[in-house]
Amino acid sequence: MTHEQASELLAAFALHALDRDETRAVSAHMRSCAECQLELALLQEVTGQLGSAVRQVSPPPGLREAVLAGIQKRQNVIQLQRGWAVSLAAAAALLLLVLAALGVSLSRQLTALSARLTAQEQVLALLAAPTARSVSLTGSVTAAVRFVYDPDRGRGALVVSDLRDPGREFVYQLWLIAGTQPESAGVFRPAPGQPIVLPLAADFSRYQAVAISVERAPSGAPQPTTTPVLLGKL
Amino acid sequence: MRTGASLAVVERPFRPRAVEWEMERGATQADHEATLLAQIARRDATAFETLYDRYSRAVYSLALRLLGNPQAAQEVAQEIFLHIWRGAGEFIPTRGSARSWVLSLAHHRTVDALRRQRVRAVEPLAEGDLGAGGGADVVDQALRGIEGATVRSALMTLSPEQREAIVLAYYGGYTQQEIANRLRIPLGTVKTRIRDGMQRLRVQLVHGEEERR
Ligand SMILES: [Zn+2]
Repeated sequence: MTHEQASELLAAFALHALDRDETRAVSAHMRSCAECQLELALLQEVTGQLGSAVRQVSPPPGLREAVLAGIQKRQNVIQLQRGWAVSLAAAAALLLLVLAALGVSLSRQLTALSARLTAQEQVLALLAAPTARSVSLTGSVTAAVRFVYDPDRGRGALVVSDLRDPGREFVYQLWLIAGTQPESAGVFRPAPGQPIVLPLAADFSRYQAVAISVERAPSGAPQPTTTPVLLGKL
Repeated sequence: MRTGASLAVVERPFRPRAVEWEMERGATQADHEATLLAQIARRDATAFETLYDRYSRAVYSLALRLLGNPQAAQEVAQEIFLHIWRGAGEFIPTRGSARSWVLSLAHHRTVDALRRQRVRAVEPLAEGDLGAGGGADVVDQALRGIEGATVRSALMTLSPEQREAIVLAYYGGYTQQEIANRLRIPLGTVKTRIRDGMQRLRVQLVHGEEERR
């Protein structure tokens, strides 16, 4: 979409009065056009006032609790899936074989595998994506830890096959690092002799690195309190 | 290893006091709200509660105005706040105020919900409302629900056609194409009314902005 076309549609875009395709096209243009960004900011001041002008009504008291309970569930996770470390041994071992061969015939192997590995469908689909990338995490401890992600679909997984036990009082915590700011992506413990997979969903374009630090059990920390033991650049 | 920079960064402690510091220096309300969103992007639940308390009324009222049903409004409001929690990092302070970002997100989600509702109800858009002129009742109803005097009088400076198009779009949740169908006028006409009407509202409502033509 050209600047002229986008600029014609900006008022309707601010009113959310475009159809899906037009909305997508204008959004795409907007990312690289400072003039349209400024114009939209002004138009959104207008729509913001339209929105603020309606009769004000107090929400039901239950809303606050529901909202806060909703974010509690998401906190510390960026979608950490419960039970992810349980009974995945077989699936994860296969995944690791696949990972070892990463880059070459990955998508073909995965097509064959995915039919049998329903429990790991998501991760496998992720790996099979042509846009998927894989980084190895390295640092001060010996470990076989990889982070696989598909930036286009915002899906990723940490695959841990060999990492020493952090001790009873501690857990490992995974961080996504945006600029100067680490964000928690969940905590985990390695399972002895058994690989584990930690799937997550996030907008990976926002992050430059993934890191793992040792934090207090059971739930880790809101921000890292120790130097990361492993780090990988996205 | 090239981890030096990141490691130094990572060890920086959590800073819940940043807001106070800015407030002491006379930061504006808008700066404060932008700071709140930045904290929420870093998963600060306390900042989120503050933002909720500041905006829940505005967000719920807007959803209720568009959806007309308290149960649906509550569901959408909940969805909106979860979006804010997850998407606060997408707010860019140099591109507008926190308030307009929140309300724009709220409007977008509410309009989506409204359109889902309409698909389920299979509302006969093009065929309906023939006698009523296609939008008159929606416009009247919406105007009655507007309590902000500034916005109300700004809307009254528009031509009736511009006002109708903008009210149907913003408070009715209709796309330009749906408005054209509903009013039985060419799409190009709707586009022109919306563009000119919004331009006019902008001159009236956005402070410190010079008229540009
Ligand atoms: Zn442009």
